[in-house]
Amino acid sequence: MKNHPHTEQAIFDDQEGAEPILDKTWLSPPGFFGWFTHVNQRQIGFRFVVTSLIFFALGGLLALLMRLQLVQPENTLMGAEFYHQIMTMHGTTMMFFFAVPAMEGLGIYLVPLMLGTRDMSFPRLNAFGYYVYLIAGITLYLALFLGMAPDTGWFSYVPLAGIDYSPGQGVSFWTTMITFIEISALTAAVELIVTILKQRAPGMTLNRMPIFVWSILVMSFMIVFAMPTVMVGSVLLALDRTFATQFFVASGGGDPLLWQHLFWFFGHPEVYIIVVPALGIVSTVISTFCQREVFGYTAVVLSMVTIGFVSFGLWVHHMFTTGLPHLGLSFFTAASAMIAIPSGVQIFCWIATLWGSKIKFKTPMLFIMGFFAVFVIGGLTGVMAASIPFDMQAHDSYFVVAHLHYVLIGGAVLPFFAGLYYWYPKMTGSMLSERLGCWSFWLIFIGLNLTFFPMHQLGLDGMPRRVYTYLHNMGWGEVNFFVTCAAFLMAFGFLLTFINTLISPYKSRAAGNNPWNADTLEWWAQSPPRNYNFRHLPVISSRTPLWQKAPLYKVTGIRADRREIIITTLLDAKPQGVCIMPSPTYWPFVLALTVGFGFLGFMFKPILFVVGFFLSFFAIVGWLWPARPWLAEKPPEEGHPVRGLQ
Amino acid sequence: MSTSINNDQQTANADVDVSNFSRHLNGQNAPIWWGIIGLILIELSVVSAFTVTYLYLYMQHPQWPPNDIAPPPLLIPTWSTILMLLSCVTMYLAGKSVEKNHSKGFVIYTFASVIMALMVLWIRWQQFDNFDMRWDQHVYGSLLWTISGFHFIHIVSAAIGTGAIGLFGMVGFYTKQRQIGVVVDTMYWNFVAFAWLPFYLVLYYFPWL
Repeated sequence: MKNHPHTEQAIFDDQEGAEPILDKTWLSPPGFFGWFTHVNQRQIGFRFVVTSLIFFALGGLLALLMRLQLVQPENTLMGAEFYHQIMTMHGTTMMFFFAVPAMEGLGIYLVPLMLGTRDMSFPRLNAFGYYVYLIAGITLYLALFLGMAPDTGWFSYVPLAGIDYSPGQGVSFWTTMITFIEISALTAAVELIVTILKQRAPGMTLNRMPIFVWSILVMSFMIVFAMPTVMVGSVLLALDRTFATQFFVASGGGDPLLWQHLFWFFGHPEVYIIVVPALGIVSTVISTFCQREVFGYTAVVLSMVTIGFVSFGLWVHHMFTTGLPHLGLSFFTAASAMIAIPSGVQIFCWIATLWGSKIKFKTPMLFIMGFFAVFVIGGLTGVMAASIPFDMQAHDSYFVVAHLHYVLIGGAVLPFFAGLYYWYPKMTGSMLSERLGCWSFWLIFIGLNLTFFPMHQLGLDGMPRRVYTYLHNMGWGEVNFFVTCAAFLMAFGFLLTFINTLISPYKSRAAGNNPWNADTLEWWAQSPPRNYNFRHLPVISSRTPLWQKAPLYKVTGIRADRREIIITTLLDAKPQGVCIMPSPTYWPFVLALTVGFGFLGFMFKPILFVVGFFLSFFAIVGWLWPARPWLAEKPPEEGHPVRGLQ
Repeated sequence: MSTSINNDQQTANADVDVSNFSRHLNGQNAPIWWGIIGLILIELSVVSAFTVTYLYLYMQHPQWPPNDIAPPPLLIPTWSTILMLLSCVTMYLAGKSVEKNHSKGFVIYTFASVIMALMVLWIRWQQFDNFDMRWDQHVYGSLLWTISGFHFIHIVSAAIGTGAIGLFGMVGFYTKQRQIGVVVDTMYWNFVAFAWLPFYLVLYYFPWL
């Protein structure tokens, strides 16, 4: 679709009968080839969510394989090499290919709807980010099927990951694909930040913004400052492996510990990058199912911002046993304990919200209740592991495995599934089955506690993590057998939700616009929303626009015959201008291919990186090529003052 | 904050008409302006990660540069730094020309900037030949080559991007109303030029300390 010339017969979206024109303007082309041109935020966000769930399933299957190997001492189901590959792939998948894209996907889908706009700031960049994610994921799994997967853990510690101890392409796949997929995380982060700061509906001042949007904003800023560090780290590791630079090689003056600093400076904020949006989901769901605003809006928002800041000062608590100076260790212990303050503030705000309200225990609320229990246990073992003497004992044991799974499943997976049950009606137009949801929740909740709680005991008994087998006389056999059985129980719980999402569109009732009677703007749109999200762009005058009695005022004068959205000021959301958004195109897909070619080529022949660089340049020029006729300014009409917010 | 809430309460009592709002967004009202700020923030994180990496490794070594390697000469890198900063001035003048709809001036200043960047690249290329150490001998050499190479690639991409903008300028695409492309390209250009300063400091001065 070309930019329409600035014709005299402009059609505005507030005119009668503008729907078909709006529909056509914001259409994502149908068909197989059309699929590669989509740029609308809802299509891209939905793809992110679905793809991340597929990777979640794959990562879960790998975990089950690991549990099968560990079901009995000296099991011979698989060898050490394959075990290490699937262990690495499990961690890498869950962190890079499930958790971050899943949260970003929810953000991409929901944020523009919550802000009352029709698309995100850079729709084509959005599409580009998705293809990068898809290509990176497919490549890494191809490597697994070819038996060339990385096998040095999701953290790729040197010197093990250096060329001397890990020859072959496995770790190269890891360094290349991690650098590559961070491009996707970073584009989505910038996109979300700009959309949130500049595209809020008129009147939606920063302190009227939904808490979920705040959480996505904090997550995005954290991504911007954390992800580049792991990119630098993995690029340096790739250079060490390909060109024999000496960054992490002790004999060449380099320092293996530098890798751990670079990795954990990203790796610890990464945990909160996943957890902060989950906290946003918790606030949203609690508010809806208690039918009241979250207690202490300002305190909750400031807590999330504080968590964002403090999380950058914690990374060394992953390195307590590396022999760093004691003063440094004490500082990081204090910082690790400090994160309990903003987390505690939020928990108290949620308790105050729940207190005395009539809580509706639908499936999303069940998952949130599960979050409370599981996350608190994970937090308590976290406090234990933050004290250095205890950490010295528990380090590298199954105690840590238990702790991190309690934190991540409790802090991210359960809230994400709460969000899935909560927003599925908006995304598809039909409700998920409550009965299946209830079964699914209890199986997951019981299964995960039976799986991970005994691991604390295994750790205290001395079972090291990352081992592919253990001896008979260690006495770990019974507990491991029990854990493996429980893992299958938990997996069955997740399977029920997958089945639920697949059959519900055919079996369950239509959702209607606002099935939960929620207060945020996404429930003002149809379920699923039309191509153009909202029939009219809203004007906001309160924090809970759908609970106010008065109808929403609307923006008029937005053209329906081209993709127009309204830009507002950063703090007070006063209208500032109208932006014409780009239309569907193949270029983001082409650019993702050329960039991917450059990265993958680098693994085999470094010069191919240069080829990819120049191919990408041409793709970018094609992408940005201004379509004729160029937009021209209409002379301002005399005696027709600008109305509206000025 | 209170005044803004008052304003909102007044204005929320009516529909908002935006039919006469400008569709030409050329500054902080344009999403891409903020997008480039985001890109610069990301790259600043990368620049700091490289700088901190250098300082970390520098502090690990009592002797820097190692053994019998001489600290790098300062004169030529200083010239290339000054040249790079001067090209920001021509980029600024190019932007001013677009403001005044002088498309000829725009093209001249843009290509002047690109030529200055090419000269910087040429000087840098000579320096690669003259480094005292290869990248695979010691981490000192690895840092020198990697950080210089990283910035080299950035100048290349800024130069070809700006060259493309110069070509669009020749066919008259950029006007006072349609100048956002020039604005954001200049922002990125300035970032690339100034990002060199911390690298210049660590790569060329720290070995003398």
